[in-house]
Amino acid sequence: MGAEVITVSTDTKFVQLAWKQDEKMLKDVKYSMGSDPTGKVARMFGVYDESAGLALRGTFIINPQGQLLNAEVNFYNMGRNIDELLRKFKANLHLSKHTVEACPAKWKEEGDKTLKPSPKMVGKVFEAYEGK
Amino acid sequence: MIETCCCGIQVGQPVPDFKLETFEPTKGDFGEISLEALKKNKKWTILFFYPAAFTFV
Repeated sequence: MGAEVITVSTDTKFVQLAWKQDEKMLKDVKYSMGSDPTGKVARMFGVYDESAGLALRGTFIINPQGQLLNAEVNFYNMGRNIDELLRKFKANLHLSKHTVEACPAKWKEEGDKTLKPSPKMVGKVFEAYEGK
Repeated sequence: MIETCCCGIQVGQPVPDFKLETFEPTKGDFGEISLEALKKNKKWTILFFYPAAFTFV
């Protein structure tokens, strides 16, 4: 999809290998499984739970220049929506090539309507979005 | 670098370099990944933290 996806937990790489081999849901997994046993990287992103020694469910999108563009953190008991992650990634890609545009909430994929913020649009976002 | 940064990075800010040991399912082997190398290869990076192996996403 044009991005390097790295999953990260505080498990060792050996546990991740075991999990990958054991869990049928992971049979098609191709992304790198990162190991952060000391929680160093999780701490850096503010998702390390000191009392549990575990990483919260945090998702971060970083552009090729190393700039953080999105951050989402869920508590342990809520899963993430991969469609929303893909939407955010595609929007980032689009915006990196069209720097004067903005992707509104309903933007889903390439070809969908974007906005071009300008003084004219102030108070007229609805009209701009609906093309009226 | 990482040691001085403990509490999260604000969206829009540069991410300090980090390194992770990895398991690479495509090679069936261990590896290493760093933000520096990803930047050098002009890659977008998605970091996906989860509490522990053997749990859901």
